[in-house]
Amino acid sequence: MKKSRNTFLWLLSACLILSLTIFTSSALAGSSIIVAQDVAPRMMNPHGDDSDAGLSYFANFFDGLLQRKGSTGELVPALALKWERPDELTWKFYLRKDVKFHNGNSFNAADVKFTFERLIDPKVSEFTNTGKSIDKVTIIDDYTVEIKTKNPIPWFANNMHQVFIMDKESTEKREFSDVFEKPIGTGAYKLVEWVKGSYIKMQANADYWEGAASIKDVEIRPIKESSTRFAALVSGQVDIVNGVPVELFDKIKNNPKLHIIQKPARRAIFLGLGNKVDSPTADVRVRQAMYMAINEDEIIAKIMRGHASPAAQIPDPPTIGYNADIKRLAYNPEMAKQLLKKAGYENGFDITLTGPNDRYVQDAKIAEAVARYLAKVGIRVKLDVKPKSIFFPELIKGILDFYLIGWFDGTFDMGRTFSKLAHSRDKEKGYGAFNGASYSDAGVDALLEATADIVNPGKRAKALMNLNKLAMDKVAFIPLHYQEDLYAVQKNKGITFNPRPDRWIVYKEIVR
Amino acid sequence: MLILNWDDMGTYIAKRFIQGVVVLLAASMICFVIFQYSGDPALNMVGQYATFEEIQDVRKLLGLDKPVYIQYGKWLFNALQGNFGVSYRSKVPALGLILERFPATFELVSIAVFMAFCIGVSLGVIVALKPNALINRIIMAGSLGGISIPTFLIGTVLIMIFAVYLEFLPAFGRGDTIQVGFWRTGLLTVSGWKHLILPATTLVMYQLAVLLRLTRAGMREVLTEDYIKTAWSKGLAPRTVIFKHALRNVLIPIVTITGLQFGELIAFSLITETIFQWPGMGSLLLTSIYETDQSVIVTYIMIAAFIIISANIIVDILYAVINPKVRYE
Repeated sequence: MKKSRNTFLWLLSACLILSLTIFTSSALAGSSIIVAQDVAPRMMNPHGDDSDAGLSYFANFFDGLLQRKGSTGELVPALALKWERPDELTWKFYLRKDVKFHNGNSFNAADVKFTFERLIDPKVSEFTNTGKSIDKVTIIDDYTVEIKTKNPIPWFANNMHQVFIMDKESTEKREFSDVFEKPIGTGAYKLVEWVKGSYIKMQANADYWEGAASIKDVEIRPIKESSTRFAALVSGQVDIVNGVPVELFDKIKNNPKLHIIQKPARRAIFLGLGNKVDSPTADVRVRQAMYMAINEDEIIAKIMRGHASPAAQIPDPPTIGYNADIKRLAYNPEMAKQLLKKAGYENGFDITLTGPNDRYVQDAKIAEAVARYLAKVGIRVKLDVKPKSIFFPELIKGILDFYLIGWFDGTFDMGRTFSKLAHSRDKEKGYGAFNGASYSDAGVDALLEATADIVNPGKRAKALMNLNKLAMDKVAFIPLHYQEDLYAVQKNKGITFNPRPDRWIVYKEIVR
Repeated sequence: MLILNWDDMGTYIAKRFIQGVVVLLAASMICFVIFQYSGDPALNMVGQYATFEEIQDVRKLLGLDKPVYIQYGKWLFNALQGNFGVSYRSKVPALGLILERFPATFELVSIAVFMAFCIGVSLGVIVALKPNALINRIIMAGSLGGISIPTFLIGTVLIMIFAVYLEFLPAFGRGDTIQVGFWRTGLLTVSGWKHLILPATTLVMYQLAVLLRLTRAGMREVLTEDYIKTAWSKGLAPRTVIFKHALRNVLIPIVTITGLQFGELIAFSLITETIFQWPGMGSLLLTSIYETDQSVIVTYIMIAAFIIISANIIVDILYAVINPKVRYE
């Protein structure tokens, strides 16, 4: 009897101490944050969604072999300590030891092999493109993996921050729907609860290989409607919001409680043109004239309200292939008219401008402005703006005359950008899938194909810069501007937040 | 239609049931026809950098490469067995995805319709009794506003006033919820009720105005009838005359409209849900339309049609309960 009372007392005091420590630790180290993001996650299967919004969520629960860090997007090791390319087709990754998944399983080469082989299955993966480019994944030892690609892919490693490593054992064992709703990764955060449409709660992984994140509890509230996101911020319900619409910029700037962050975004907005024989745009002078007729400064000032910077090319400065020597053709409607006259289109011509109206910042308004500028030099533009779900299927058919689109490349390599956008359409080799007006130039094609087996980064950059220059000299595209990402943060809450160039919100990078 | 007794009622409901099945079939067929023109779902689930071949592979996987009548036949065959397909967007069963959101919508709409009914009918009666009093004229004018101001404006204005300026009520979401079995409820927490006030008020505005005007019109007419005059002259208490004799006869159209509104709001309160980021079915539908998630859209339309048809049938049954003519047969 006495013994059991002692046990009881002991248990009681243990409980007390335990609850006390829990209480104090949560009061001391328990910083937390509530963030409103503009897009809700589709799923928690890290290969099933390759949109920046989806990857932004996955990046908190999972790690790639490599990662891109902070506001510059520098490529640094993550689950791989180092990597090398012994020959054109081979990539060798040396893995980090003593890393554990959220369920306690150890991370090793088998998980990497499993992950890359999973990418080919369209049922679970939107990375089939990456998956199918791989010939074979070989486990050399528990912590060394060799990946052979079918063709030389110079940007293969550049993409390794997007391919998140899954736990082989638990992923194979669990039900399909469980894998799609409960992430088990090695990442800095563990999922606590996901109530669809309401919130995602996550907690810092105490055993994270980089050390536990500064903010212990994160609650993400996806709010689609931008004015509601704004209201949630102003009323103090959330600490950070992304996707601040340009119309609300001044309101937030003038609010003493809030701080607005302007981050140059990677995405370039531009116009694509075809050069089919006998079409007016086949003549380079016509394409130059159209370029010169558009007053981009006015578009930035009036439509983007200053929240964009002019672009002279498609890749953004951190991308390999960005060429600082390329300059915009100056706005000059008079010269444009002369060029049209020389090309035999003194009286202009008719053309249809197609574009999405729900994809990019102010996309439909930009298209309208372009139509008005071109009308001033006599080109009659028929506007055809439509929802992205209808626009993109048309784009990939390659049947458009003239279209508005935006692009930023997750690989930070212009080679892939151009193989999708600028190379002549070639179904068999997988070139030109987004070349919406079937632009085709043998010179561009040849230069691009020649870069495929250039390994040396310096040489590669040079070759791509040449290609970029050539394409812009030929006006394969009319570049407009780079977008700007706008975030707003509560001022007096001690939050340090430096947004990334890829629009992901990686919570281990936020300090409070 | 005049229903004479409970037997007839049975046949009537059976007929309505058959009609309902036909409506469901027609609605699903229309969905599939529209899908042919509403964008390519394969493109939304193949990844940003896919090649033509990969897009084609996904199309095959989803069966989208088949002619539309085969797609429809397959869908129908599976749907009859309770399998409404998997969401293209999140790859989990579409039906579960929608039903998971049902409690949020149901609670919001039930509270809103309940409030609209109580307030609308009471105000309607008051206004009908003294139509020329100043306050009653103001109420009537206000009800016009309730009918004509669009929901998104009411919602945004309410957020601006109560959440942004007064910081009095939360701007969005459902607040703290408690899981009771399969049902996630917000009605058991203070925060849940606080979050409910603004979206429910937004939904109430229109419904309230309609019910108010309907009650008023009905009461005005009934109050001039001979039997009401007789009731007054018999010296019955005003309460008995107004509620038992007059209102009861006015209630039939009011219940009809309330029932129909209930069904419609459950199915299509998507604007209010989106403005308040209410995690209900409506906001899911909107996202699914943006993402061309056809299996969710068609399942949703089926559920919506089912709810509206059921609401209709329930209203018919309620007729029999309220309508004295049926009772006395």
